[in-house]
Amino acid sequence: MRLRARLVIATVGVTVPMVVLLMWLDGRARHRAAAYALSEGTLRRLQNPDERARCEAAPATWGRPRRPFAAAGSTAGDGPGPDGTVRDRRPGGHRPPMPFPIGAPPVNYAYDEQLISVNPAAPRLAMADDVRTLEVGAVHVVPRAWYGDDVDVVVRTPWGSGPCAFVLTHGTTTPGFIGALLPASPIWLLPLAAVLIAILIAVGPVVARIRRLTVAVNRSAAHGFADAIPAEGTDEVAELARAFDAAGREVRAQLATKDQREQTLRDFLANTTHDVMIPLTVLQSHLATLREAHAAGAAPDPLVLTAAMAEAHYIGALLHNLAVAAKLDAGEPGMLKSPVDLNALVARVVSRHAPIARQRAIALEHAVPEHPLTAQADVTMLEQAVSNVVYNAIRHNRTGGHVALILEPQADERFRVRVIDDGPGIPPQQLERVAQRGQRGDAARSRAPDGQGLGLDIAHRVARLHGHQLTFAASEFGGLQVDLEGPTASETDPGPDADRDPDPVPAGNPSPPS
Amino acid sequence: MPDRILLIEDDQELGAQIVDNLRKAGFDPTWWRAGRHIEPQQLPGLALVILDLMLPTTYGMDILKELRASGAEVPVLVLSARNDTADKVRALKLGADDYMTKPFWPEELIERVRARMRRPTLQRGDALEVGKLRLDLATRGTHVDGAVVELTRVEFDLLSALARRPGVAVTRGWLVEHVLDPDREGNERTLDVHVSRLRKKLGVAVKVETVWGIGYRLGTEAA
Repeated sequence: MRLRARLVIATVGVTVPMVVLLMWLDGRARHRAAAYALSEGTLRRLQNPDERARCEAAPATWGRPRRPFAAAGSTAGDGPGPDGTVRDRRPGGHRPPMPFPIGAPPVNYAYDEQLISVNPAAPRLAMADDVRTLEVGAVHVVPRAWYGDDVDVVVRTPWGSGPCAFVLTHGTTTPGFIGALLPASPIWLLPLAAVLIAILIAVGPVVARIRRLTVAVNRSAAHGFADAIPAEGTDEVAELARAFDAAGREVRAQLATKDQREQTLRDFLANTTHDVMIPLTVLQSHLATLREAHAAGAAPDPLVLTAAMAEAHYIGALLHNLAVAAKLDAGEPGMLKSPVDLNALVARVVSRHAPIARQRAIALEHAVPEHPLTAQADVTMLEQAVSNVVYNAIRHNRTGGHVALILEPQADERFRVRVIDDGPGIPPQQLERVAQRGQRGDAARSRAPDGQGLGLDIAHRVARLHGHQLTFAASEFGGLQVDLEGPTASETDPGPDADRDPDPVPAGNPSPPS
Repeated sequence: MPDRILLIEDDQELGAQIVDNLRKAGFDPTWWRAGRHIEPQQLPGLALVILDLMLPTTYGMDILKELRASGAEVPVLVLSARNDTADKVRALKLGADDYMTKPFWPEELIERVRARMRRPTLQRGDALEVGKLRLDLATRGTHVDGAVVELTRVEFDLLSALARRPGVAVTRGWLVEHVLDPDREGNERTLDVHVSRLRKKLGVAVKVETVWGIGYRLGTEAA
């Protein structure tokens, strides 16, 4: 339902019963006054010494107003006993028309003891029992279901017998707006109308503003909440507008985040596809070469075989790195820390790269402490970081080279994973730049010219996210020395690895012959 | 008798390759192409379970959970294509002993399987036995192939430190700190001299290998 209609209905619903009640109370009061005045007037008239004789002489006609009024007449009204009798005695009974409406003059009807009147105009008396038991000189007001303008009183005459034993006096109250129902003056309409008008005036602008707000919200919604919703004033409607605006901004922000995520996902997919396609193409080429050699009856070239394996290994590492990069882009939420058995982690990294190192005749050695070290970390991320450093050392080494991975406890409950190699290393002026990598957000995604690529960038970012230190230096063997340091987890918090691992020295060492 | 290994892997190609590789490495693989619970009567004689987590019918984790709930202690190596931390942590908590993420090289798998089944070093009371080498820790006696070898205190400590973890590289730093006499100034050079002497005394039957960039280890080829 419309706001305006609801207000009107509510106003009318409250006002009308109140008006009816007030009218009823007003009608009752005027009825009482009129009944009192009529009975007083009649009794006074009956006390005239010759009134009995007059009545009994002509009971059929007694009681009519002696003289017609110019106006409608008056019984009930202000002033003491303004009945016909009193008025009749006034000299020069002709009176100027009253400035306000007045009631009809009272009419008397005489009834005998059986309540039968010889006056043909006399109404038949109901409630005969109530009347018959009246004391001499007593008054009975004829009850009415609704207070109209008619007022009837029955009086038992002072003599109380004969054809004029009872007298019924009929009069009217002051006629009002609807007969006698409403007060004489319609002034009461004024506050009612005023209240209605005031409500409509007060509500009008509010309704208009709510409509404008509706239009604004609809328009904003149609444009993906891109438009701001204007908020005028300081009242509740303005608050509502501001709330809509805030909701719109929130929706805009959410949409923007969602768009950003979708874009990131699309970029990730595109980059992943691109990054994987290149080594895959190289691998296909190697396989094709091997197939050609086979068709020509030649033995497969071990160099091509090794290269093909290296390429496949690279694709695997790349995919793992891309998955970790996606998690790193999510920041903290992408990380799931748990106690990680570093000894087992080192063993896994070594066994992952051992086959490819063996193919390239690179000795991959490792050492772990006798008692396993544990650190709080995301095992996938940390393993990938260490794996990248090791793989980097293998990839850039030469045939017959060495790579060593050493896990050692340090002072102050810290661990250090050190990867050393005797490869070509990195010139001192470039070390700084490699060390700084990862501070920059833009990762070199594919095989960067300097050969560090995505792997070291991920190692940097994982270290930073875990609060570990990753440092690069020249190794004493001519290659690179990379240290990853961080705090170990407390002994009282054994990890799931430690829980289950019955062998404190994991993964012995089927290392390549050196 | 070869060690029996149960492989639960739904991919036909990968499963066939793994079975082939395990067989070539001298194991006796049984291949289940679909996930189902491992009944207790199937456990005796089983040396290892290789379990793929992503199976079409049964989730690998459930098989693992059931297996551990039944009290079986057979080692379980979990294979997962999803390199997901939550999966790994959950698998280890449920009682997996190790996990591998795809892709992997056949050698890598075999090595990890062997690592899981490696027997602990034989240590009976105060004696350490590695191949032909026998160390009596109480009397500090050394025997190679039954013959007594006289070693100095440092040499014995050095050899027993390596023999406690045969085949595992021990860093020079650790050996200098824990083996050399702290009263005399020991450094890595001193250590190398001790090793050199030790090698001469032990002969060819027991190999103290130099590990590049790390230190030394006791060779296990003869074991």
